[in-house]
Amino acid sequence: MKSLVLGFAALLMSSSAYAADPGVTDTEIKIGDVNILTGPASFIGRAVSVGSKMAAAEINEAGGVNGRKIVIATEDDGYVPARSFQGLKKLIESDEIFALNGTSGTANILAMLPLIEENNLPTVVTTTPAELVYKPVRPSVFVIGARYVDAFYGQLKYIHDKLEPANPVYGLIRQDDDFGVTVEGGYDRAVKEFGVKDGIRLKFKRGTTNFSAEVLQLRAAGVNVLANGGIIAGAANILGEARKLSMDMQVASVWSEDMPPSVKLSAPAGYAYLVGDYVALNDQATDAFDATAKKYLSEGEVAAINRYSYITYVGLKVLAKAMEGCGKELTRACTIEQLRKIKDFDTGGLTAPISFDNDLQLSGTSLKIYQLDPKTQKFTTLQDFTDFSAK
Amino acid sequence: MRTGHFKESYASLVALNDSHVVWAWTAVLLAGLLALPLFAGNYPLSLASAALIAVVGAVGLNLLTGTTGLISIGQSGFLAIGAYTNGLLLADYDWPLWATMPAAGILSALISLLVGIPSLRLKGLYLAITTLAFAFIVTHIILYAEDITHGPNGVFLPKVTAFGFDLSRDRPFFYFTLAFTILAILLALNLSRTRIGRAWMAIRDHDIAARVMGIDLVRYKLLAFMISSFIVGIAGALMSLQIRFVNTDVFGLILSIEALAMIILGGLGSIAGAVLGAVFLSLLPEVIRLAFETFGDPSSTTYTTYVYEIRGIAYGVVIVAFLRFKPEGLIGLWRDAKRYWTNWPLAY
Repeated sequence: MKSLVLGFAALLMSSSAYAADPGVTDTEIKIGDVNILTGPASFIGRAVSVGSKMAAAEINEAGGVNGRKIVIATEDDGYVPARSFQGLKKLIESDEIFALNGTSGTANILAMLPLIEENNLPTVVTTTPAELVYKPVRPSVFVIGARYVDAFYGQLKYIHDKLEPANPVYGLIRQDDDFGVTVEGGYDRAVKEFGVKDGIRLKFKRGTTNFSAEVLQLRAAGVNVLANGGIIAGAANILGEARKLSMDMQVASVWSEDMPPSVKLSAPAGYAYLVGDYVALNDQATDAFDATAKKYLSEGEVAAINRYSYITYVGLKVLAKAMEGCGKELTRACTIEQLRKIKDFDTGGLTAPISFDNDLQLSGTSLKIYQLDPKTQKFTTLQDFTDFSAK
Repeated sequence: MRTGHFKESYASLVALNDSHVVWAWTAVLLAGLLALPLFAGNYPLSLASAALIAVVGAVGLNLLTGTTGLISIGQSGFLAIGAYTNGLLLADYDWPLWATMPAAGILSALISLLVGIPSLRLKGLYLAITTLAFAFIVTHIILYAEDITHGPNGVFLPKVTAFGFDLSRDRPFFYFTLAFTILAILLALNLSRTRIGRAWMAIRDHDIAARVMGIDLVRYKLLAFMISSFIVGIAGALMSLQIRFVNTDVFGLILSIEALAMIILGGLGSIAGAVLGAVFLSLLPEVIRLAFETFGDPSSTTYTTYVYEIRGIAYGVVIVAFLRFKPEGLIGLWRDAKRYWTNWPLAY
């Protein structure tokens, strides 16, 4: 009798623990994402949604996660952190998501972190690998992406080792914020390690659009290797000003500069600039992705594909792998435990293999180096995924 | 039903409202708000709290722009000051909440003097641009003063309790916000009936005439800035308590524009209008979302591809249509409805 009572109590406890994690039914698992779906940066959010949608469609067609279909619930934040908070609140309270894959911009994910931690929400961050997100480590948060410091060091190393410009004078232009500091970190490491001339380091305020004075200073310093820390329109304006002054130089850029909208803005300046990215851009992996996309997505959605689609697709695949490891008794705690065990997860070449079994729960830090052909507006791979982090 | 106002005593002249019907309905509304957490889930409660914070901010801005006629698009700056003061004092200096909340309002009020003093010689668009510049300055100072403000990293607020209740939970936070909302509304209502309020209205209607009548423009304009900023600073502190994270990106220019839209849509110069406008604009995106979910076809490609843009456009269209067909705002609509039923069946 006693064992019967204990067994019944154990059953009650196990079922209540199971029921305590929302977002899972016998047939479905609900995964949320909070994204920039309106406003000037909506091309990022749409790409993210497309990546999630495609991964879910593929997983579901293959039988789902232990028989459960993945359902995606999306909230738009318009890139406003307060709306990100409300969006995630809705996803947790109203839509009852199980996990999160797709977390908008840096300030936006930071605004969501208290909710993520409180709800022990398994979260894969794919679009903003900022240090603030993974330091300090939050137990349920896993980040895919490289560091800007490594991205700039890797590009400058390639320029130094392979392109070997004559009489190199290095120069840096970067935003006056935390992001700019990480860019300068990579530049600093490069000029010290290579022992090259550090011509000039310039800072500019976020939102600056006119760089004529800064570029004049770069020319006056004789810069012929530039670490361009501008983003999208800013980077394009810097290159445009340099072209006006007929500056001949090698350029290292932020990974946002490999997206089609950025390329359209920057390519007319005619610089074959380099980009270091933790996502594949132009090889068999992306060709295969694009071909499969036509099967699952509408024409408008296929047109929205960019690097953020690939990385979010990878994020959901990793999450599905972790959930699969939990079997039928799927809980958030188990998923987090399984995510921590992820090692060398093959992404089909879209990124370097994913491993979260490290202190920071950070993966995908290896980078590919690409170079733009400004005439065709296509990128060529110069160097395959390489770990540039300081040992 | 009462068909007019005939005040027979000084007491009725200074009363907040001399209509028993209005007091009865106010009591019903208050009871409804107090009972809301018993019926609503956490997400609706969170939305309601955000709407109440918007009400506090709009009531504050209305005192400056609606009542005194000083146009400000620097509200995001004052919200940021309030939020950062509250956040930093809680996170870095371990101040108790009862001290951080007033500190947020007081610092915001004191800093408002910086923009208030130049505004004494500025009006209309010139003042609007000055306040806009102020908001940018606030952002840059926060980013530069990294040792104090954590710069671009922002501030994570610790868990805070009030009267033993954890404010990170939706129910206690709703009541906490409701209390501040009621206080802000009462403060604004009372101020508007005093000499100060009447002086502000005189300045708004014709500042030279007001000066001729003996109203000290310097004193009353600065007072308008300070009191308005105090209330907006409190709204900022409430925002920081709800999101529990503060950085400069949270306080974009869009907040200032939305605050102006709230008081214009509600009915400029009216406290009830500011309340209605804030609630309306805060909940409109949710209403549009529900409408799309109810009437949209989720299987259509157009719907799935463009639904968020379409919702954004719908949000703008509602505001434009409202201002086109009801320029006196929600409070005008409310007055029309009241007049219609008061005079019914004679209304036409």
